[in-house]
Amino acid sequence: MIKNLRRASQAVFLLLFLFLFIQTESKGYDDLGYPVRLFLDFDPLIFLTTLLASHTVPVAFYLSVILIVLTIFMGRVFCGWVCPLGTLNNMTGTLRKARPIGDRRRLYRWKYYILLFILAAALFRLHLTGVLDPLSLLIRSLSVSIYPLINYAVRSFFDTIFFWNPSVMVQGSEFLYDLLKRSVLAFEQPFFVQSAFVGLLFLIVLGLNLIERRFWCKFLCPLGALLGVLSRYALLRRSLSEGCDACGACETLCQGGAIHDGDRWNLSECLYCMNCDDLCPRNAVSFGFSAKGAPAALDLGRRNVVIAFASGLVTVPLLRTTALSKPGYVNPRLIRPPGALEEREFLRACIKCGECMKVCITNGLQPILFEAGLEGIWSPVLIPRIGYCEYRCTLCGQVCPTGAIARLPLEEKQKVKIGLAMIDEGRCLPYAHATPCIVCQEACPTSPKAIWLEEAQVRNREGRVVRVKRPRVDLELCIGCGICETLCPVIGQPAIYVTNVGESRSKTNQLLLPGAAT
Amino acid sequence: MNRRGFLKNAAVVGAGLTLSGTCGLVFRALEASERVDLAVAQGGVPSQVTRAAIDVMGGMKRFVARGDVVVVKPNIGWDRTPEYAATTNPEVVGTIVRLCYEAGAKKVKVFDRTVSDARRCYRQSGIADAAGAAGAEVSHIDDRKFRDVRMNGLVLKSWPLYVDVLEADKVINVPIAKEHGLSRLTLGMKNWMGVMGGWRSRIHQSIDESLVDVAKAVKPTLTVLDAVRILTANGPTGGSLSDVKQLNLVAVGTDQVAMDSFGATLFGFKGSDLGYVRLGAKAGLGVMDLAKLKIKKIQV
Repeated sequence: MIKNLRRASQAVFLLLFLFLFIQTESKGYDDLGYPVRLFLDFDPLIFLTTLLASHTVPVAFYLSVILIVLTIFMGRVFCGWVCPLGTLNNMTGTLRKARPIGDRRRLYRWKYYILLFILAAALFRLHLTGVLDPLSLLIRSLSVSIYPLINYAVRSFFDTIFFWNPSVMVQGSEFLYDLLKRSVLAFEQPFFVQSAFVGLLFLIVLGLNLIERRFWCKFLCPLGALLGVLSRYALLRRSLSEGCDACGACETLCQGGAIHDGDRWNLSECLYCMNCDDLCPRNAVSFGFSAKGAPAALDLGRRNVVIAFASGLVTVPLLRTTALSKPGYVNPRLIRPPGALEEREFLRACIKCGECMKVCITNGLQPILFEAGLEGIWSPVLIPRIGYCEYRCTLCGQVCPTGAIARLPLEEKQKVKIGLAMIDEGRCLPYAHATPCIVCQEACPTSPKAIWLEEAQVRNREGRVVRVKRPRVDLELCIGCGICETLCPVIGQPAIYVTNVGESRSKTNQLLLPGAAT
Repeated sequence: MNRRGFLKNAAVVGAGLTLSGTCGLVFRALEASERVDLAVAQGGVPSQVTRAAIDVMGGMKRFVARGDVVVVKPNIGWDRTPEYAATTNPEVVGTIVRLCYEAGAKKVKVFDRTVSDARRCYRQSGIADAAGAAGAEVSHIDDRKFRDVRMNGLVLKSWPLYVDVLEADKVINVPIAKEHGLSRLTLGMKNWMGVMGGWRSRIHQSIDESLVDVAKAVKPTLTVLDAVRILTANGPTGGSLSDVKQLNLVAVGTDQVAMDSFGATLFGFKGSDLGYVRLGAKAGLGVMDLAKLKIKKIQV
C-alpha cells in the first residue's frame, strides 16, 4: 500500500522536475515565470559546499533547511520518495533481476568517502560538488546531452515524414509535431560541444543499475551520504514484530541496501521505499516514529576517513597549480556569461548544473572541458560562433542557483562587458577584398553602436576605385556580446571575433587606460 | 470629406512633413481623380491612420478577395519594444490583419525571419500579441519551408524563399521606415530579407541589386509603410528614443519602388538617393519619380 504511495510521490516529483526543466526556456518574456531551479534550491549539499567554498549564502538556501530538518526527523525519505535521479535509477534498476545485496553492501562507505573528499576540498575553497551532486549531474546531463538527443530523434522522425510523403500523412504528423513543439520539445534543436561525453557519463550512471540496483544511490551519491549522516538519529524507524524469522525476503528488494543478515537494518541507508513493509510474508515489518534504539552505525574506518579527507585537501593545490592560475596568463576565449563573478570567485561558486546552458536563448553558452583548468570542467563559456549573448536577455543570471552568475537588472546587464570584439583585417571583406559588408555594424545592439563605419576608397585588381565602408570597433562601447562574430559571413574563422580582454568582472584582464579617450 | 476640409488637412500634412517639396505633391493629389497610386494618412491613432490610408486606396476589398490566404509580412527583426521603432508598429499590423479578414480572407499569416532571437522579437515587438488578437496565424519560421526560386536577376541567380510567401494568394508587405548603415534606409524592398533563407547576410556585398532581385521575385499585392515612428539614426537596431521620430503616418501603395521612393522623403532624401530604388525603377519594377504618381494625403 505505502509502496504505491511512494511510487506516486516519485512520479509526481519526477514529472515536476521534468516540467520545470522544460520550462527552463525563454518564451520571449523577460522572466521565465517558473521557479525552474527549485530542486537545486532544496539541495543541502550544494548549500553547504557553496557556503564553504564561495563564502556566500545561495539565494534560496532556506529551502534546503527544510530538507535538512526533514531528514533529521524522517531519514532519507528524499532519496526514496523525491529525488528525480533516484527515481530514474529505480526505474532502470527494474531491468535487473532483484538479488540480495550480499557482501557488496560494504561499498556503501564509498559515498561517505566521496562526501568527505568534496567537503575537504570545499573547506579550502575548491568547489567540486557539482560534478557528483545528483541534481546537478542530472540537470547538466539532461541539458547538455539527453534533451538535445531526444529533440534530435523526434525532429528527425517528423522531418523524414515531412520530406518523404508530402500528402495526407504529413498533415497528421505535422499536427502531432506542432503539439510536441508547443509542449515538450525545445524551440530550436540545441547543440552542445560535449554532448556525447556528458551523455555517456550519465548513461554509465544509469547502466550501473544493471550491476546493482540503485548502484549510484547506495554507493556513490554524495548527497545521499550527507542525508545519511543527518539521518543518524531519525525518528522514523523500522521495527520488527516477533513474527520475523529473519527469512531475508526483504533484503532482496531493499532499495537502499539497508537490510542485511536477515533482520538487521541500517537506518542511515534506508530510503523508506517501504518494499519490506509491503512484501513481508509474515507481516512482521512496520514503520513508525520512535526514539528507541541506537543511532545508525556509521562504520567508515578511521584510516579511510583520513585518506578521503587528505585526498580532498591535496586536490586543492593539485588543481590550482595549473598555469591558468598565473596572473596575466588568460585563456582569451574564456568568455563568461554576463554577471559572472571574477574568475576565481566564479569557479568557487559554479556547480556546473548546466541551467544557464539550458536557458541560453542562442545556445551560445557551452560547457568547457579543461579551458579553465580541471576545476572549471563543465562550467559555462560563451562561444560566439555558436550563439551570441542577446542584448536584452538576463535569463542565465535568473536561473543560476549559487549566484556564480549574478542576477542583474537589464540596465545593468547591458553595461557589463564580457569581452571586446576586434577585427581581423586580413579576412574582413571591406578591408581585405574591397567588397561591401556591414553585417557586424548592422546587428550591433548598443546605442550608439559600438561598431561604426569608416568610409574608405580602395582599388580593386583592375585599378578601379571602389568605395567601401569599413567596420571599426569602439572599445569603450563594445560589450563583447558577440553577435558580430555569430553573424560574420566569413564562415569558419570569422573576420570579427570576441576575446575576454576588457571583461568587467576582472581587474587585471583590461586593455584601456581608465579615463583615457580612445 | 469636403473640399475645404481636405485642403485644411492637406495643409497640416504638408506642414508636418520636413521636405517642402512634398507640399506640391499634396496639391497635385488633390486634383487627382478617384484612382490613387499612393495613399498617405497621418493622425493620432495608428489603427485609424492605417484604416484611413487603405480606404483611400479603395479599401482592402480591392486587394483581398473572399477565401484568400494572405501573408502579412511585418519587420520583426530585432528584440525591441515598439517605442524604439526598430520593428513594425503592432497596431498597424493588427489593423491590417483585421481588414484582411473583413475583406473575406480565409487565413492571414504573420511571420518574419528575425535576426535577434525570434521568441523575444515576436513577443517584445508586440506583434505576436497584436496579430494574434486580430486572428492571424502567427508562426515562427520553419527552416524546412524554404524553396529555391530562380531569379536570373541582376546578381542573384536563385535564392531560397519562404514557401508560405510563394504560395499565398496575396502578400502584404508591412515594413517600418528606418535608417540603415549600408542601404541608407530600410523600407519596403529591404523588408524581403525576412523571407530569405540561407546565409542572407551575404547579399550585403551587392545589396541594391540583390534587393531588386528579391523584390521582383516576391511581388506583393500591397505595401503598407509604417511611419508611425521612424528611426532616424543607429539603425536598423536603434535602442535610443532620441533617434526616434514620431510621424503618426502610414503610407499605402501597390508599387514597391514608388513606396520606397516616398519613404525616402520622410528622411529628407529623394528616392534617387537610394541605390535599390534607382535600380528597381531601371529594372521596370516600379516608378521612382513621385511626380508621375497620383498621391493622396489625408489627415485623420
